[in-house]
Amino acid sequence: MSDSARRMLRRAVPSPRRLLPAVLFGIGSAGSSIVLLACSAWLIARAAEQPPVLYLSVAIVGVRAFALGRSVFRYLERLTGHDASFRQLATIRAEVFERMLPIAPDGMAATRRGDLLDRFVSDVDELQNVPLRAVQPLVSAAIVLVAAVVGIGFIAPQSAVAVLACLVVGIGAALLVQQRSVVRAEHMTAPLRGELQAAIVEHVQALEVLVAFDAAGAGRGRIDELGARYARATRSRAAATGVAAAAMSAIGGFAVAASLGAAVPLLHGGRIDGPTFAVLCLVPLAIAEVATAVPLAASALRLARASAARVAGAVPDAVPAGIPVAPSAPKAPPSGDAPPRIELRGVRASWPVLVSADGEGDDADRGAALIGVDLEIAPGERLLVRGGSGAGKTTLAHVLVRFLDYEGSYRLGGIEASTLDPADVRGIVGLVEQRPWLFDEDVRQNLIFARDTASDDELLEVLERVGLREWVEERGGLGAKVGERGALVSGGQAQRLALARAMLARFPVLVLDEPTASVDPARADALLRDLTDAASRSGRSVVLISHAPVDPALVDRVVTIEDGLLPAI
Amino acid sequence: MRPLDPRLLRRSRAARGFLAAGGALALVQSAAIVAFAWALASLVTSFIDGMPMADGVPLLVLLVAAASLRAVAAWIWDVVGSAGATRVKAELRKELLTALEAEPAGLPGFPTARIATLLGPGLDALDAYFGQYLPQLVSTIVVTPILIAMAWIADPLSGLVLVIVLPLIPVFMALIGMATEAVQRRQWESLASLSRGFLEVVGGLSTLLLFRRAERQTARIRAVTDDYRSHTMKVLRITFLSGFTLEFAASLSVALVAVSIGLRLVAGDMLLIAGLFVLVLAPEVFLPLRNVGAAFHASTEGVAASVDAFDLLDAAERGVRAPAGAAAVHAGQVNERADAADGLQLRGIRVMRGDRVVLDGLDLDAARGEVVAVTGESGSGKSSLFAALLGFVGFEGVARLDGTVFGGAGVDGAESARSRIAWAGQTPALLAGTIASNVRLGDEDADPVLCDRACHLAGVELDPELRLGPRGSGLSGGQAQRVATARAIHRLLARDAPLLLLDEPTSAQDEGRETALGDALAVLAAEGRIVVVSSHRAALANSADRIIELERAHV
Repeated sequence: MSDSARRMLRRAVPSPRRLLPAVLFGIGSAGSSIVLLACSAWLIARAAEQPPVLYLSVAIVGVRAFALGRSVFRYLERLTGHDASFRQLATIRAEVFERMLPIAPDGMAATRRGDLLDRFVSDVDELQNVPLRAVQPLVSAAIVLVAAVVGIGFIAPQSAVAVLACLVVGIGAALLVQQRSVVRAEHMTAPLRGELQAAIVEHVQALEVLVAFDAAGAGRGRIDELGARYARATRSRAAATGVAAAAMSAIGGFAVAASLGAAVPLLHGGRIDGPTFAVLCLVPLAIAEVATAVPLAASALRLARASAARVAGAVPDAVPAGIPVAPSAPKAPPSGDAPPRIELRGVRASWPVLVSADGEGDDADRGAALIGVDLEIAPGERLLVRGGSGAGKTTLAHVLVRFLDYEGSYRLGGIEASTLDPADVRGIVGLVEQRPWLFDEDVRQNLIFARDTASDDELLEVLERVGLREWVEERGGLGAKVGERGALVSGGQAQRLALARAMLARFPVLVLDEPTASVDPARADALLRDLTDAASRSGRSVVLISHAPVDPALVDRVVTIEDGLLPAI
Repeated sequence: MRPLDPRLLRRSRAARGFLAAGGALALVQSAAIVAFAWALASLVTSFIDGMPMADGVPLLVLLVAAASLRAVAAWIWDVVGSAGATRVKAELRKELLTALEAEPAGLPGFPTARIATLLGPGLDALDAYFGQYLPQLVSTIVVTPILIAMAWIADPLSGLVLVIVLPLIPVFMALIGMATEAVQRRQWESLASLSRGFLEVVGGLSTLLLFRRAERQTARIRAVTDDYRSHTMKVLRITFLSGFTLEFAASLSVALVAVSIGLRLVAGDMLLIAGLFVLVLAPEVFLPLRNVGAAFHASTEGVAASVDAFDLLDAAERGVRAPAGAAAVHAGQVNERADAADGLQLRGIRVMRGDRVVLDGLDLDAARGEVVAVTGESGSGKSSLFAALLGFVGFEGVARLDGTVFGGAGVDGAESARSRIAWAGQTPALLAGTIASNVRLGDEDADPVLCDRACHLAGVELDPELRLGPRGSGLSGGQAQRVATARAIHRLLARDAPLLLLDEPTSAQDEGRETALGDALAVLAAEGRIVVVSSHRAALANSADRIIELERAHV
């Protein structure tokens, strides 16, 4: 188990102060059930000796009080325990996300989306079981068991030893079975579950293609086959867990027999009376019931440990090479709304090679490398960067917004970009991505985060500028939904929305990565004119990246990138 | 929520066999419990009465044997429960996937993340339902009456107390169950929306970083999770209340029984052995019910998931049935020109998405050997036309391929028509695997030469053995698009299909690539095929033999 997984596991345990109520209520509930049985057994056996009823009154009160106590304490234990673990869950989720931030987006292990979903929902939810099903029940049960055995020891040491021996052997056997087969089965189920989920997501997302190519049946067959393997692993885990549970269920009977056998000589020797003997015979049943919590807690801990390892592995601890790291003392970015001069000298950059948590390498080249880019962008300049597929256009865009690190020199207003906080660079240089992401909300929500003070009129105005106003109003205004991953919006409209968003944010420098890839030509020119107009009106610099020809009147200068090279003119 | 969803039993044969096996095991358990209680009561009474140790050995053996038998029966129950759960899950998953295939364009109200959650963690939640809840339910039904009868025989008054208290518990369960149902359903939905919410944040992370809004998401995740907590705690407060009521009733009955036995023992009205027997038995009477209460909570997520699954199946069945009615309307027109010429003929094609008309009254003829470009601004229905021809969405009007009517609402043979169409959509939708395995999708047995030719025609110059990551990651947008085009061309060649449909195949290509593809399409058409390509790029459209301009349909 790696250090980061262990840290993840520790972070799942709430502070002792938050856990204390559940532990105390747990002790109250388990303790009550043992004392209830002891009181009842004593009451009945003593009553059989027909003493005056008065002698029984304390036992009668005890029976009623502990009967009530057991259920009340149990209810409170569950409630406080769940609340504490849920509160911890929010912390865990947020921390996982925060670990992604410094490496995202280009340094994230190529995790299948479904796997990621599964990891987040199942593994992180699994972590909340650390306090709920492992730590708290274990602490409560251990305290009660020790107290019970010591209590029996005061009455009949032989019985105490007998009960203790049964507990140790029973719990030991259960833990051993878990160690051997349950762990093996669990190690098999978790990755299979992830694989199955990833296969399902891929199948569902590519369903149209699979159906059109008559490959859906084969895909379903693969899922069925994975499902069957997962089912086999689940079954063998259940069988192993069952053995442990059966061992725990049997120790009740064995402990009764052992305690009884040890107490008979004491009874016959007159050292204990009949009622006490009855208590010694019956109480092991209640003790064994409390003890069942121990192997359950141990197995919960094991499951959580595997999940912690995967959660920790989902996001690497270290920032991969090629991803910028914020300097410890970042310089102040060039101030003011005016666009700074941008100078690139001998810039080289490449995409990081990532290995996912399962050791499954994602060594496929994610994009062309830059091997030498010299470029100068004057304030307010409208520059067109042209180049074919695989020339490194997107890589250049990612370098400019500091998604990717670089070698050489990239200066913003004379300041080396690597000495700035990447977030500050992104405050100056904005990017409209080739495939913009739309959130599954309405149009307003998809725009407003770019400038949260914007009024509806401003939003409509910017939509007008990208030629979407009519389209939005046709759909009922800013409250129109865009669908999951923009499913209700065509590619061109998604681009326009993304452009509208970028214009709202008022970046001094705006990089447009193939903004017209899926916009019809008549509108593409108009759109580019709108954009460059808007930019030059406010004196912004615009870097337009395109493989398609662009009306030369729209830009001030054209450069061409080829095979990662953009030589100075 | 009902204790047992009849839809589950009706749909699942595995579930029925599982319940029968459970009943038999529960009988064995009852016998073991009674034997254990009797042996223990006899031993304690006899030893108090002064029986020597040696005489107790047979009873001690019985005691240990009964405890062991019970443990073994419980173990078998675990195994049977897990086997039942996996079988039912496999059945449901298969049904769901088959239902989804009938509606590849998606079902309203079921976004892919929801379907993925349902098919994965959702179905896994059935484990608790089968592994814990149902076994306890069966035990309760079988074991409880037997134990009450035994207690009654030993001491009628205690039996009466149990008979009075016990039926109150199912009443409580029903009441509290009704109260939980609505809240419970909300919890499942908030879990689903939470999973979607996080995917959204991760998927949109680069966007959020660009707008320097990523940090804000941490607070959002916290807020969503806290929302999840308060939702769940609201449910739990009620769910645990049912647990509390059950435990309270059980403890109270034990207390009542113990006190009443004690008082009657003092009066000399009963024997110690009967008293002890009932005392050991009383908690056992309530144990299955208490466990049902505990398992009930664990299983509700699974039950909610199964409800979701059945809803999806119902929605898919509705989706298939609805257009079937419309089919009859133009079935009459179908035969009228069955002997029409070779090639693709479309007459009055009208496509609806929801209640919006996206394509209205399109007529199109394309002969074999012809490349037809379909142009039109975004939203003019180019993709919808292709979806209609593929049978993904229903349409009105008549479509013929080489004289045979195909596709459309309810016309039989949408599938067989699809086997004569090769298509590449707007998004590449590549799969994890090699380039070659992507290109050869669906025709893995075809001559490898065809794969090379398809790649050549589509301009894929990558190593065919290059491995792609999930969803085809590892390629640039342009490369992925060309691989998707190669995949369509490969199908065309491998099946010698007459019709190739390409939806915006050059949106991410430069002019050189665009011209090359135009030439390749001309070569394919010259071999006697029909090529229909949608594009708003002039170069590709101009290289076609004919251009059809689509106009945005009137709403």
